[in-house]
Amino acid sequence: MQEYSSQAAYDRGEAVCVIGAGAAGLIAVKNLRENGFEVDCYERDTVLGGLWNPENQHSPLYPHTHLVTSRSQTEIPDFPMPDDWPDYPSAAQMLDYLKRYAAHFGLAEHIWYGSEISHIEPVEGSRFEIVVKPAAGSAARRLRYGAVIIATGHHWVPNLPSYPGQDGFRGTILHSSQLKDGSRLRGKTVLVVGGGNSGIDIACEAAVNAAECVHSVRRGYWYLPKYLGGEPADYALARLQRRPRWLRGFLTDRLLKGHRELSARMGMEAPDHKHTDEEPIRNGRYLEHVGDGSIQHRGEVTRFDGGEVAFTDGTTVRPDVVVLATGYKPKIGCCPPGLLGVDGDSPYPKLLARMFSPRVETLAVAGLVEPGVGALPIFHWQTHAIAHWLHIRKGDPERAANFRQQVVSESAQYAVDSTGVSPRHHLAVDAEEYLAGLGRIIDTLEQEPAK
Amino acid sequence: MSLQVWVRRTRTPEPASVKREIAVIEPSDLLEIEARDDPDASPVLCCTGESAGAAAFGGLWLKRIAGAGRYAAAVSVRGQGSTPAAPGGLEACAHDVVQAAIGLPRQAVLVGHGSGAAWAALAAGRYPAAALVLVSPQKMPKQPPRPVGEPKVLLAVGEAEAQSKEAQATAEAYGVAPLTFAGNSGDVFTGAGAEGLLDAVLSWLGSKD
Ligand SMILES: Cc1cc2nc3c(=O)[nH]c(=O)nc-3n(C[C@H](O)[C@H](O)[C@H](O)COP(=O)(O)OP(=O)(O)OC[C@H]3O[C@@H](n4cnc5c(N)ncnc54)[C@H](O)[C@@H]3O)c2cc1C
Ligand SMILES: NC(=O)c1ccc[n+]([C@@H]2O[C@H](COP(=O)([O-])OP(=O)(O)OC[C@H]3O[C@@H](n4cnc5c(N)ncnc54)[C@H](OP(=O)(O)O)[C@@H]3O)[C@@H](O)[C@H]2O)c1
Repeated sequence: MQEYSSQAAYDRGEAVCVIGAGAAGLIAVKNLRENGFEVDCYERDTVLGGLWNPENQHSPLYPHTHLVTSRSQTEIPDFPMPDDWPDYPSAAQMLDYLKRYAAHFGLAEHIWYGSEISHIEPVEGSRFEIVVKPAAGSAARRLRYGAVIIATGHHWVPNLPSYPGQDGFRGTILHSSQLKDGSRLRGKTVLVVGGGNSGIDIACEAAVNAAECVHSVRRGYWYLPKYLGGEPADYALARLQRRPRWLRGFLTDRLLKGHRELSARMGMEAPDHKHTDEEPIRNGRYLEHVGDGSIQHRGEVTRFDGGEVAFTDGTTVRPDVVVLATGYKPKIGCCPPGLLGVDGDSPYPKLLARMFSPRVETLAVAGLVEPGVGALPIFHWQTHAIAHWLHIRKGDPERAANFRQQVVSESAQYAVDSTGVSPRHHLAVDAEEYLAGLGRIIDTLEQEPAK
Repeated sequence: MSLQVWVRRTRTPEPASVKREIAVIEPSDLLEIEARDDPDASPVLCCTGESAGAAAFGGLWLKRIAGAGRYAAAVSVRGQGSTPAAPGGLEACAHDVVQAAIGLPRQAVLVGHGSGAAWAALAAGRYPAAALVLVSPQKMPKQPPRPVGEPKVLLAVGEAEAQSKEAQATAEAYGVAPLTFAGNSGDVFTGAGAEGLLDAVLSWLGSKD
């Protein structure tokens, strides 16, 4: 780093640097401190909570965002949510929860706000030098750490499709992350593009608030209501995991059959994949809105033409507002791609066990998975493992080396085969298998060393 | 808590939510004495197997803990004090203790007395207590879970119970030597024995391990 070399780096010894104070970063700080590490957490924004904090400049929250995963499946394993909260807490409650977590474990004093990390690089073998992007008028600061955990999230860079004629469109085009406020939909003709959780939720919002709502998806999905058999759906399905595989398949099919038949009757594309190949969309209201006509369900957009948008079936609509709920691109800007195992210009890191750098032992990423279930518990077990690993590495390098071998062999296992369904599933893991793998890793780390 | 134990728990029905009675005395509430409010000291959360629940700690414990500069709280689990009864055995009572703990401003010390010690022990298996104090434990699980976050553990038993199986098994499970206090389990809430016990607990909490 030529440009920074005029100023010596401040050495923080064996302290660990955590980048990002969203859910994953906060949980990492707590688990590292529990393992005796000093921690500095850098957050580029001025608030904690990451995407759950509407004050975070780039928060992707849209009106009335609620969890799609239920409370018991989403709460942090060693710090449950209050049990008088609803089954599906709101985004505001989720933020409140993360703030309580931070206060309870005294995390705030370890967070440096307004500090974007612009670059990290290995130095002296396995240590790291980090560069804090300068605030206006001051010089960049450089510091050295024993290890770095990246927890910068992956919902910050919108994935934006482009259609013929889009530039000449007379209405407003927004990405779902720019919507923020439901009043932008009121009284308008709204076209929502994209059938992920954001697109479906926003279509439902427009169904009740907009004058007219048209919703475009490019393929068929499974829709899962929030409750199945009187229980939160994710909980009901997780409980089935205790059954033998064949019975599980049978019972799940039975639970989902009604919704599949309903979407078929409504003339929607049949999903071209099994419900186990991709996480179903978690929204029960959607089909009802299609059923009562407040959402007009269409196929893929083919082109924009002046004020008009055309679909594959030849129909058209004249929207005032187009909301592109077309997802996000993962991007870890502060880290040289090679350290994350990225080859070529792929944006998708290839990490050991989806968290450890394949190149440097003291670099890990927390939260770079789409588990299809509550994300916080996964972050907890990931950072629990990372913190334990760093701890052992400090005291017993030989054990650490053996452990590394195991992680490499585990790594091959839990990639969901996403071929054919959608490129956005690169980060998807089968939660059941991934957790089992994490469990094996943690067991090895916690075994008493053989004497 | 191991990952496997957690997975099992997420697939078990959660105990019904109850409105819990929680008694609190903060150092700043004590007007008569000049309490040193120590913002770094962990709050203390107490529970007992006796049916009075939180009220049992009202006379002496909470004031004395607050007097030592700590946020002092006690919880009545389901069926105790003014907390309504609700189904669920040991597990549900431990759940009540964890729920009370997460409501405190900071990471708390768990103090359990009698069968309350068993709830505190289970609670410490899934909530990273700042420290775990078991006073005259009763009805302890055969193999109490390993406390998460590796807090320090204090076992305090009355002289009369020091040789009991329960006391010895608990000492062994946690690998600690019991601290003995004058009297027995019934003497922990009032009297000179109780004050001596409390002072010993507070000084243990204040000491570096
Ligand atoms: C709309 C929406 C709804 C969701 N709903 C659910 C749900 O119902 N259940 C569920 O379990 N999950 C849900 N998720 C998944 C969500 O990703 C996780 O719940 C979780 O909040 C992710 O946390 P994180 O810490 O990994 O990332 P983030 O919350 O994105 O936090 C990353 C932090 O890093 C900071 N940062 C980024 N780059 C830098 C840098 N270079 N230097 C310093 N700081 C930096 C950012 O400012 C941010 O604060 C949802 C996601 C979205 C987008
Ligand atoms: N309430 C909640 O808890 C909640 C709400 C929103 C989001 N989330 C989570 O946040 C993450 C992001 O969700 P998201 O819904 O914003 O994004 P997403 O899950 O990536 O979905 C994007 C949608 O846009 C479609 N799409 C992408 N590129 C397209 C193109 N070029 N043309 C047409 N369609 C295109 C995708 O189709 P394909 O399927 O064919 O790729 C998909 O339907 C997910 O993990 C999600 O579960 C949770």
